[in-house]
Amino acid sequence: MNSESDIILKVSDLTKSVTLENHILDLLSDINLAVSAGETLAIVGASGSGKTTLLSLLAGLDLPSGGRIELKGQAIHTMDEEQRSAIRAKHVGFIFQQFLLVSSLTALENVMLPAELAQLPNAEQRAKALLEQVDLADRLNHFPSQMSGGEQQRVAIARAFITQPDILFADEPTGNLDSKTGLHITELLFDLNKQNGTTLILVTHDEKLADRCGRKVIVDGGRLVDDSAETLSKLRTVNE
Amino acid sequence: MSNNVWIKQSLRLLGHELRRGELTIIFLAIVLAVATVFSLSGFSHQIQAAILSKSTSFIAADRVFRSSQPIEESILAKSDELGLESALKLEMGSMVFANDKLQLAEISAVGDKYPLRGELLIQNVQGGVKEQKAPKPGQIWVEQKLLDILGITIGENLEVGMAPLEVAGVIKQMPDASFSVFTSGPALILNVKDMPKTELIQPGSRLGYKALFAGESDAIEEFEEWIKPQVNETQRWYDIQSSRSALSASLDSAEQYLTLASMLGIVLAAVAVAVASRRYGQRHQPMVAVFKAMGASQRHITKLYFLHWGLLSAISVGAGLLIGYVLQEIGLNTMQEQFELTTRVSMMEPLVIAIITGVLCSVAFAIAPLKQLVTIKPLAVIRGFEHNTFHYLQMLPAILALYTLLHLFSRDWLKSVVLLGGGALVSIILLVLGQAFVSAGRSVGSKSGRALHLAFANLKRRAKENSVQLVSFTIAIKLLLLIVVIRSDLIGQWQAQLPDNTANRFLINISEQQVDSVNQFMEELAIPGSGLYPVVRGRLTAINQDSVTSDVSKEEDKDPEQQRRGVGRELNLTWRTNLPDNNEIISGQWYSAEEDKAQVSVESGVAERLDINVGDSLGFQIGSENFVVEVTSIRKVDWQSLQPNFFMIFNPQVLSDFPATYISSHFVEPEKVQSFNRFLAQYPTISMIDVEAMIGQLRSVIDQVSLAIEFILVMVVIAGSLVLIAQVQASMEEREREIAILRTLGAKGSLLKNSVLLEFVCLGLVAGLMAGMAMEIAVYFIQTQVFKMSASFHLEYWGIGMVAGATFVGVMGMISCWRLLNMSSVTLIRRTM
Repeated sequence: MNSESDIILKVSDLTKSVTLENHILDLLSDINLAVSAGETLAIVGASGSGKTTLLSLLAGLDLPSGGRIELKGQAIHTMDEEQRSAIRAKHVGFIFQQFLLVSSLTALENVMLPAELAQLPNAEQRAKALLEQVDLADRLNHFPSQMSGGEQQRVAIARAFITQPDILFADEPTGNLDSKTGLHITELLFDLNKQNGTTLILVTHDEKLADRCGRKVIVDGGRLVDDSAETLSKLRTVNE
Repeated sequence: MSNNVWIKQSLRLLGHELRRGELTIIFLAIVLAVATVFSLSGFSHQIQAAILSKSTSFIAADRVFRSSQPIEESILAKSDELGLESALKLEMGSMVFANDKLQLAEISAVGDKYPLRGELLIQNVQGGVKEQKAPKPGQIWVEQKLLDILGITIGENLEVGMAPLEVAGVIKQMPDASFSVFTSGPALILNVKDMPKTELIQPGSRLGYKALFAGESDAIEEFEEWIKPQVNETQRWYDIQSSRSALSASLDSAEQYLTLASMLGIVLAAVAVAVASRRYGQRHQPMVAVFKAMGASQRHITKLYFLHWGLLSAISVGAGLLIGYVLQEIGLNTMQEQFELTTRVSMMEPLVIAIITGVLCSVAFAIAPLKQLVTIKPLAVIRGFEHNTFHYLQMLPAILALYTLLHLFSRDWLKSVVLLGGGALVSIILLVLGQAFVSAGRSVGSKSGRALHLAFANLKRRAKENSVQLVSFTIAIKLLLLIVVIRSDLIGQWQAQLPDNTANRFLINISEQQVDSVNQFMEELAIPGSGLYPVVRGRLTAINQDSVTSDVSKEEDKDPEQQRRGVGRELNLTWRTNLPDNNEIISGQWYSAEEDKAQVSVESGVAERLDINVGDSLGFQIGSENFVVEVTSIRKVDWQSLQPNFFMIFNPQVLSDFPATYISSHFVEPEKVQSFNRFLAQYPTISMIDVEAMIGQLRSVIDQVSLAIEFILVMVVIAGSLVLIAQVQASMEEREREIAILRTLGAKGSLLKNSVLLEFVCLGLVAGLMAGMAMEIAVYFIQTQVFKMSASFHLEYWGIGMVAGATFVGVMGMISCWRLLNMSSVTLIRRTM
């Protein structure tokens, strides 16, 4: 299915557990996954299934309890916070459900932020160009609180693409938006993704959004279930 | 791209946040702390220096050594060795002659350098007044009164002892002129070199030898340490502080008050910084998490925030210094005339103290929240943000910093420890009480209306934050009440000291024959007065058959300075049937008029120094006559009252047969002054001391100091308000979420407004009540320990505290939440989701 050289993200025997008062709770177990460069992957699953935990591990925001994660061939599960930060700055982009724009910075400055952290040249020009692409050329100097949810998420998308990351993680990117705006955001996300040839991994409840991806994986009870149409329909029945 | 992105980002953040008002509370809190410290310490530094120079002029030196024997050479040699300036002065009462007339004069023979402090102003024959040092040998300066009595003018000769000396000028101001009503006559100054010619120094002459010293404070202190152990019972070493001037006492309490109030202001400003920086930490959490998720390293974040906070502090400290400087200038200009601030003292010390205050406030109170902030995990972008966990250990740097600040400002470790320890203890008690109140509120609330129920439910849910909030509200209100109460007590006490009809003229040397006409004149013109006090001069010779000299030697372990006063010199004795005003019997009983037994009432200070108790017998000598009386009461005398006061008051039976002169004090209204003076002109032997100018000076100083107190009160109120606003703001995000939820669930705007209002009003009410109680305890200690006033209770302020607390916290809370309460549901949801 994936040739070894194309693989941008490789996960083997991944587990994550937390210690509660008297017992250990397994959040994820036996996760094995490989994602090719340029692929679009949807991680779907019921609430509490562990999909967001998985996303945070894949993006290097958290460390697993066991197993391996290799991002661009680098074993991020062995790295400390600082090393993972450096990896994120270089290869990773994010889009969050709550947009998470820096409230004290303008739209333009929010978009410039990752480019500056990655020390890319011409951060401002890049940011302006991207904001134009997401139809916010006239809102460059507006602060997040002066923008609607849809506008904020468009800023977040522009911010995610400014460093031309190898891999983009999106956590419920349309979760906080009405369906019309959500649709618009989806279009924008996939258009930009295509233009940049970025690998996209998104976590969502939204089936329509998941359907736009090339591949879907289902997380159920902390385990990865195969992504066949049959299983999906089974899950759908359970969810309903 | 260069690797100093953090600088750019930090500046950008700071610029936006400052413009958007997100840092206003922290900014104001630091500004306030710095401005308060700078203006007040600068101000009091300057005023202190002015007062000191003005008051040291009352003794014409920094320190004075007085002895009944000539000053030893070794003392002067030591002072020279330490680089001190010194001047000699010899004092005595003696008759002087001119035109076949004679008059008792207070003679001062002074060395060339006299006076070392203050101004000696002399009017010359042309009428010009000039500042002078000692007169040339052969010349003297005298008070106008002496010229009038003797009927001579400037240029004529006057015989002092055996020496005819030329009157070269009239004394207009003598820095160490005696304010005492018992001075023996008009002043006369001659050069000490003329003393041998006068032949006034004879065996048995009553002479006072003085050596005046002035110089750098270090040298003075070293000299003081050297000389103090050598001072014997016939000598005295003193500075201006030991003077009993009402002015110095008032200024002393004012200074104490200003220091205390400023310390409380600093505490409040520091609390505001602490609260605001916690909120700052919380508000920046998402920002840091996003930065980290985007790949910013810990180092990057630390540098970014170090610069951000550092610049914010620097800007705030700078603004604080500027505002403090302006306030200080305004204050000094207002008082310029009063204190004749001709030379400005260096502002270096207040400046350094103010800068340290700003830096300590911004570092120590923010270090814990900032540390938590920069170490936040990037995972928070997914998992959400938690409120800062609060460990009591985190308060350690803040407490240490607060102590340092208080100490730095007050230079009084005891006061700082008491204020801090007391504050911590009160906070803990209040925290426990607060939690109890909040819990109790829940059960009350559940039985009440919907808005109240919601309000109490909110209070209960945020029990921990609310009890912390309650404590800071309480402390803020308490400190405000404290400042208000002490201020009114203090100013009230000063004003009581100087009522409108305070005596402004003293008459002395009224002879027995003049008594009736003086009384008659005062009655005719309706001039109020103290009544006439007869004065007989006599010596205390024995206490319970022990002669006083042996008594003194038994007291060697006591402070030598306390041994001398009241013995070894003649006392002014009086008799009287009624207890004078401003005197209070503290033990024994005032004699009744019918009793024949010889009795005396002794002033409590003297009684304590000489170990005199009710029932003791005292031996006195008047002229050549000796007699013994029983002590039947001990009196407390208000020495600051402007009226004749006495150590010993006898019943009339004892003294009435001795020849006496009389003294009295009067309040002469301006329109009666002329008639008063005309009347006195008929009796040249009666001396009049005009203290009008002194009272005027005292009044205006009190007015100015009261103004300074109003100023600090305003500062403390602003600091208190800042704490309240910072506290309300700290809970804003959470409130926003709650209101959004309640709105979504269909809660009416009026219900939400009422519940928010009630929540704050309840908090304010409870805080006000607790503040009233805490204030009462604090006032008790401050009044009795710091100001040495009698304690008073202020139940009315408990009510004021509650009403003010409820109103203030309610209004501040509503103002802070108003925008939130009027937002549409959609906006609210959008903001909080």
